[in-house]
Amino acid sequence: MAEFVTACPRNCYSTCSFRVQVENNRIIRILPYSGNLATPEGPCIKGLSYIERTNSPERIIHPLIKTSTGKFEEISSNEAFDILSGKLNLIKEKWGSRSILWYRGSGMSGLTNEIGYSFWKAFGGTTITYGNLCWPAGLEAVRLTLGSVKHNVPWDLVNAKTIIIWGKNPAETNIQEIAFIAGAKEKGCRIIVIDPLRTATADKADMLFSPKPGTDGALALAVVKELIDNDLIDHEFIARHVKGFDELKQSLRISPDDAELITGIPSENIIELARIIGKSGPLTILPGYGLQRHKNGGQTIRSILLLSVLTGNIGKSGSGFNYANLQSYIFDNLREPLSYYPDPEKDIPFRRTISMAKLGSDMLSASDPELKAAWIERGNPVLQSPDTNNVIKAFSNLLFKVVVEQFMTDTAVMADIILPAKDMFEQSDIIGSYWSPYIQFKPKVIQSPGEVLPESEIYFHLSKKLNLKISNEIIPEPGNDNIEQWLEKKISGHPEIGLNRLIESPVLAPGLQQIAFEDLKFETPSGKIEIYSSEALVKWGISALPDYTAIIHTEEGKKYPLELITPNTGSRIHSQFGNLKIIKDTNTEPVVRISPVDANKRNIKTGQRIKVFNQNGGFISRVEISNRVPSGLVVIPNGIWFNEGGGANRLIAGEETDIGFGAVFHDYMVEIEEVD
Amino acid sequence: MRKGFIFNHNKCVNCNACNAACILENGWTVHPRNIFTFNSEAEHLFPIINLSLACNHCESAVCMEGCPASAYSRETVTGAILLDEMKCIGCRYCQWNCPYDAPKFNSENRTIAKCNLCYYGLIEGRQPACSSACPTGALKFGQLTETDSYMNYSWFPDKKLNPAIEFAGSDKNTPLKIIPEIIYEQIVPKPVIAGKNISNELSLIIFSFLSTLSVATVITCFIKGIFPDKMIFIPVILLAGMVSFFHLGRKLRSWRSVQNLKNSPLSREIAVLIVYAIASSATVFFHLPGFLVASSIIGLIFLLVIDSVYIYADYSRSVILHSGQTFVSALLIVSFFSGIVIPFVFIGSIKLLLSVYSLSVNKSNLADFGIRFLRIAFLVISGISMILNISNIYIFISSIFLIGELLDRIFFYIDFNPLNINTLIDEKLIIERDEKKRG
Repeated sequence: MAEFVTACPRNCYSTCSFRVQVENNRIIRILPYSGNLATPEGPCIKGLSYIERTNSPERIIHPLIKTSTGKFEEISSNEAFDILSGKLNLIKEKWGSRSILWYRGSGMSGLTNEIGYSFWKAFGGTTITYGNLCWPAGLEAVRLTLGSVKHNVPWDLVNAKTIIIWGKNPAETNIQEIAFIAGAKEKGCRIIVIDPLRTATADKADMLFSPKPGTDGALALAVVKELIDNDLIDHEFIARHVKGFDELKQSLRISPDDAELITGIPSENIIELARIIGKSGPLTILPGYGLQRHKNGGQTIRSILLLSVLTGNIGKSGSGFNYANLQSYIFDNLREPLSYYPDPEKDIPFRRTISMAKLGSDMLSASDPELKAAWIERGNPVLQSPDTNNVIKAFSNLLFKVVVEQFMTDTAVMADIILPAKDMFEQSDIIGSYWSPYIQFKPKVIQSPGEVLPESEIYFHLSKKLNLKISNEIIPEPGNDNIEQWLEKKISGHPEIGLNRLIESPVLAPGLQQIAFEDLKFETPSGKIEIYSSEALVKWGISALPDYTAIIHTEEGKKYPLELITPNTGSRIHSQFGNLKIIKDTNTEPVVRISPVDANKRNIKTGQRIKVFNQNGGFISRVEISNRVPSGLVVIPNGIWFNEGGGANRLIAGEETDIGFGAVFHDYMVEIEEVD
Repeated sequence: MRKGFIFNHNKCVNCNACNAACILENGWTVHPRNIFTFNSEAEHLFPIINLSLACNHCESAVCMEGCPASAYSRETVTGAILLDEMKCIGCRYCQWNCPYDAPKFNSENRTIAKCNLCYYGLIEGRQPACSSACPTGALKFGQLTETDSYMNYSWFPDKKLNPAIEFAGSDKNTPLKIIPEIIYEQIVPKPVIAGKNISNELSLIIFSFLSTLSVATVITCFIKGIFPDKMIFIPVILLAGMVSFFHLGRKLRSWRSVQNLKNSPLSREIAVLIVYAIASSATVFFHLPGFLVASSIIGLIFLLVIDSVYIYADYSRSVILHSGQTFVSALLIVSFFSGIVIPFVFIGSIKLLLSVYSLSVNKSNLADFGIRFLRIAFLVISGISMILNISNIYIFISSIFLIGELLDRIFFYIDFNPLNINTLIDEKLIIERDEKKRG
């Protein structure tokens, strides 16, 4: 038996380190690794499930080709590469390489992912996407205000006296943070959750403010007004480090009474919240990503961020605005969110015209050339993109679809060729984290089953078949030694963290500020915290100041009475893990949840089959009535496969957030009715 | 010093990692680890508290002591209480005795499965899979220092078993303040202690009632100086035996049920049953007067042992003072059919008092109350008829009397509720609700 230290590469805050035990080329045990101070107790249930996932009999381990009858048949890798090179060449000759959409999801992070970029560049460029489904509105909001996106190390949270968890549910999406929240609470910290739902995180809180979805900005601005009117702000901090305070003060229109009408939170509680924020520092705000998946998401995050800024809770221990911590992303040429934005000069030879948020309609309307093929890796856009009906239509219209996948996902079933994808233990890589400050090495510890090849090797073989002129330094030859050499070269710009050091243990990012902004330097145009941002106005056409815009539903949308929200849950990372037996066995998570009030109105009982629908589409699922859901809301977790009764994206139109090219998931009205 | 699980509910968010790790490590098809949740329906005004619990590997391991098949043992190095699935007969007696819901019935192989503390890993220096996997540190395994900290959990059953568990924090935290309250106005159906489902215990009702009838018959015959009719008696004994045999999960291992005569009341019950069956069968076949005396005495012991099986699992007052116990029932039946009035009045009055007592403490709904009342009425009617010696409707009165006794036995099973954490959670919520209502 051998034991290795590795790190989970999923799109998740925690990016846990853990120890993995291997016997006879099988993962047999997953154990905590205490050397990572952010995740000392080890990974969550999803991390534990790798024991099944890697060895799963349902894993795709041979290339598959769709036959004329629509069924998949196994082919050898060599056959697959022959077919692929033939098809790709044909498509390129006939319509040009930009008729191919190269779609990358966030399924597995790692530096090796950029090898694909080199391949497609050498191929002549493709069409690629801009924006991101997850978090860019908030990233851009933080970047505009603070200049860079970072926060204190996770373990500093125990020094807070007030923690406001605003639209985040770490109990399910960042479970290791619960240990720090509990640690703070044991030291007398007050825990406030602001969330429409009584989440598992709210179970740990002292207070839960439950505003109507999409009104968080109004709540924040009313609290700001109350803070200023009652002089609960840090004048010295504002004078020295903040740009635009006077303009902000002039612009505030929303009183606690107004906010009561908008948010549903009584004004006396808004005043109470302002007193807590103004008087009980240090204050850390933990904003989530769900609340910026509204049309007004960017301005919402800018408004909430004001609370930290005006009370001087930036750059100190126990304080901060923990939206994301990109301090470990040192190897990226361009950090998020800037890397999401199209740049016609730099993007050559790629064409970057397809919005992630509007994937389906943008694919359908692409012209000169039209899209003819798609290559999809690390993603499941059929399930995860908004506007499912158009996405399916757009993919169906293509002549040729390649999907690199581990399991038969809702996207994989649409493929003409499926290439089996590696799991995390089957190739070495290096990963950062957007929460913890570690750079981590993820070693290869087992041989891939069947004919599974990592993308780097897929691209190597294809480039040979296509006679592309790419050096082995750019796309390394097969073999993990070559990938490790490639990694070593990739990180050579940072001699202080050589590969050998990374192999030993996770390494804190060079230049890390344990207390972010402790130097009170901000990489904004003015060098100050920019409450007033000219860039916001120029680049995005929004107000230079944070403001609140009510969500306005279309005439069609107004016909439906219930508001949809699609949060993430503890048993999946988007559409991953939910298919595993151990996850199904230990989670009886309902697909659709509604409040007792709305259930009674419709005479719906728990467990019943129901139809959820609106003008964009609908699907049939099972319902659970829950006291955790306030009336007027329908809760459908993100990432549930169609065959499990999922399909929230069928209800979602495909629109971009106010800033950052994010996707709107949360401004849709729906109705529910029972199915006979 | 003793080691055990240390649990901090402030850090537990019911993520199920402990549960998954347990299954992945041991390959269970059942879930030996429970995550109990106080207020699992998230009723507003009440906190939600989770408790991840499997076996506490008690010092007084009643699962092991009560096991008739000696399928449990204590592992010497770690002190883990282990269940040998190859020895388990699937009688499920340990599920009554354990208040923590630790023994799980595996319906695939029809034996019990239970947390083994990952003792083999513990010996090699690893933590149990569950505590090792807990991503928040809510569940740990280590040296116990505050062994009575479970007193902080009002819904943690205390049977004086000295469980190897320690709690950090208490369940008395401030309820979450939800703003605005109005959105949670309406509540879905609340957890209420439902009327107990006794369908699972049908075979036990039949077995114990037939045993009572059998013993009563033997003694009545002894008093009357006659021998029981073997064409009736033998089938009754056989039926009782068959019912108890088929109730086992693993019938071919039923011989193991007398492996623990020293400690297990259930083992003793089976042993005495065998002796009684042999003695009474010999009596009815060979009409030996000496055997009739012996059978009567063994029969009474047999019934006392049956009663002890239940009292061992649930020694609450409502069981100890229950009128439906087999011993006292048999005595009443004997005096009824022997026609001896004074003992009948005496025993009948005791049973009547106990029934009224049960009625006063256990009435859960109108139907239940009605049937309990009916049972009392049956006893009174048959008693009066017997005293007045109304013989023209003797068969009718006898039937009413026996139906009354059968009802009494059924109520015994309804009122038999071994201490169990699931019940305590519901009870706590009901109590807290009442407190809230009173302000």
